[in-house]
Amino acid sequence: MSKGLNRFAILVACATFFLIIAGALVTSNDAGLATSDWPLSNGQFFPRMVGNLFWEHGHRMIATTVGVLTIALAIYIRVKEKRMWIWRLGLFALMAVVAQGILGGLTVKMMLPLPVSTAHATLAQLFFCTTVSLAVFTSRSWTEARVLPEEKGTLPLRYLCTAALVTIFLQLVLGATLRHSAKWDQQLPIELVLAHIGGALAVTIALGVTSFNVLRRHKGETFLTRPATIALLLLVVQLFLGVTAYLTRLGSPNDPQPLHPMIGVTVAHVACGALVFATTIILTLRTYRVLPASEAAMEMAARPQES
Amino acid sequence: MSKQTKVWLVLAIALSLLALGSACSKSSETTTNGGAASTEGAGPYSGPTGTIAGVISYEGTPAAPKKIDTTADAACGKANPNLTTDDTIVTDGKLANTFVYIKEGTVEGGKKVGDYSWSTPPTATQLDQRGCHYSPHVLGVQTNQKINITNSDQTQHNIHWIPKTNPEWNQSQPNGAPAIEKSFARSEVIIPVKCNQHPWMKAYIGVLKTPFYSVSATNGTYEIKNVPPGKYTVVAWREGGGADGQTKTMEVTVTASGASKADFSFGSAATSANTHLQMMPALELPSLHK
Repeated sequence: MSKGLNRFAILVACATFFLIIAGALVTSNDAGLATSDWPLSNGQFFPRMVGNLFWEHGHRMIATTVGVLTIALAIYIRVKEKRMWIWRLGLFALMAVVAQGILGGLTVKMMLPLPVSTAHATLAQLFFCTTVSLAVFTSRSWTEARVLPEEKGTLPLRYLCTAALVTIFLQLVLGATLRHSAKWDQQLPIELVLAHIGGALAVTIALGVTSFNVLRRHKGETFLTRPATIALLLLVVQLFLGVTAYLTRLGSPNDPQPLHPMIGVTVAHVACGALVFATTIILTLRTYRVLPASEAAMEMAARPQES
Repeated sequence: MSKQTKVWLVLAIALSLLALGSACSKSSETTTNGGAASTEGAGPYSGPTGTIAGVISYEGTPAAPKKIDTTADAACGKANPNLTTDDTIVTDGKLANTFVYIKEGTVEGGKKVGDYSWSTPPTATQLDQRGCHYSPHVLGVQTNQKINITNSDQTQHNIHWIPKTNPEWNQSQPNGAPAIEKSFARSEVIIPVKCNQHPWMKAYIGVLKTPFYSVSATNGTYEIKNVPPGKYTVVAWREGGGADGQTKTMEVTVTASGASKADFSFGSAATSANTHLQMMPALELPSLHK
């Protein structure tokens, strides 16, 4: 385990979070097509970053930095890390960031078609998930964690966490679709708004049940209770931001341009969503690390496969 | 390969080629129909003409123009310190920037107005970006007529139009860049234009096969000239009131050398009953809302 590698992995995860915020600013400012070319902007590496080009080209510059950091992380892992599966995960992160760059270029060249823009936003979350996982796997707390006894007769926490994680991811995809289906001067499609509200309810139930079970069953085990508590707090903030974002978006078609309150709240909603996702990833991974699989699952895994 | 298989193969290839040829000819027909100068139909119109003219009114109190925040681009603030929204320009109750056009109709003699071929104007229509604002805000062109797009600002813009039937197009135009010439192959009312660098910048283009359109001036007046005698559906479109804008429709009869008057009203106090049609004394009474 290398302390330096872990710190670098945390840096890449933080840079990715910053990149997600930069991407959200592009969408909220309606700056995605501020220049018609890609990867250059107006044919230049460093164009005059005025108007919405500030957001679009700024996003590209941050994305390039994250790409370089991901290459460096993959090399760092190869040199310092003995666990081959972490090296493979580093390679996956590298491929994901390259694919993300291509998707970003495609969405500009194809003039923001909904499926491509949504795929770009979704892959951003998956890439963030990968960098957060790398930060978790390379940490000292991961290698030094001790296995805890799992309660019997109840639903295993690892399943609850996985269910919450999948629900949050699906909600992120819905949110990305909603955000890219209408510009600031158009009304949001009501069917997608309703689906996203339904998704929020599902996330609240899934994450609420999971976190409360973690807090109840493993009181005092900060390795698990800390991410569970943070996830719950972030969820409350996220629900508040969601309502506020919807209210500001309701009025934005009547505004002369995207205004700061709408931009600030919608970007904060995206950022907080990413944080809820990241915290749940940490909780899930830690659950898998310290809580043994249920006896039934162990038996199933030990049983020879029927042909 | 047996002889029977070969025969079937040849037949399948022949049928495929036939289908492909048919698809290609259909595709070119579609393009021609969407284009300006169809060589089929009744040919060019030559005969007496009249005019359709009127005033666009705005009833009620229009929303005050909203101030634009140009801090993101200092060049915009410098060029146009008091930049405001221009979606509803009302002067003494008269509305500017309303696109009025003949949607359809029958020329005396029974032929549809769209059956004639209408030549494309040789001169380009201007669309300038000046003071971080499109000038004109609303314009009309014929299919395949050139639009000369210029950037008179000391900053970069991009022109992004978002049609439904014509292809979408987005092009950066830095300051000092040469003019861009573009045209539309298909008729379409109305095509929104925006600048993604300065999101308040919006314009609208009406594209028609015929030359029968006009945009209301600051005093609300418009005039559609050289209209063949006949009965027409005239539509007035204005920005606002939803994503697709607002429209008012009126049936108008045009006589040879006559001047039909078609006034339209928009605004919060306007209803369909406010859209009224007046005839000049020498003209026959038109049929209203058939």
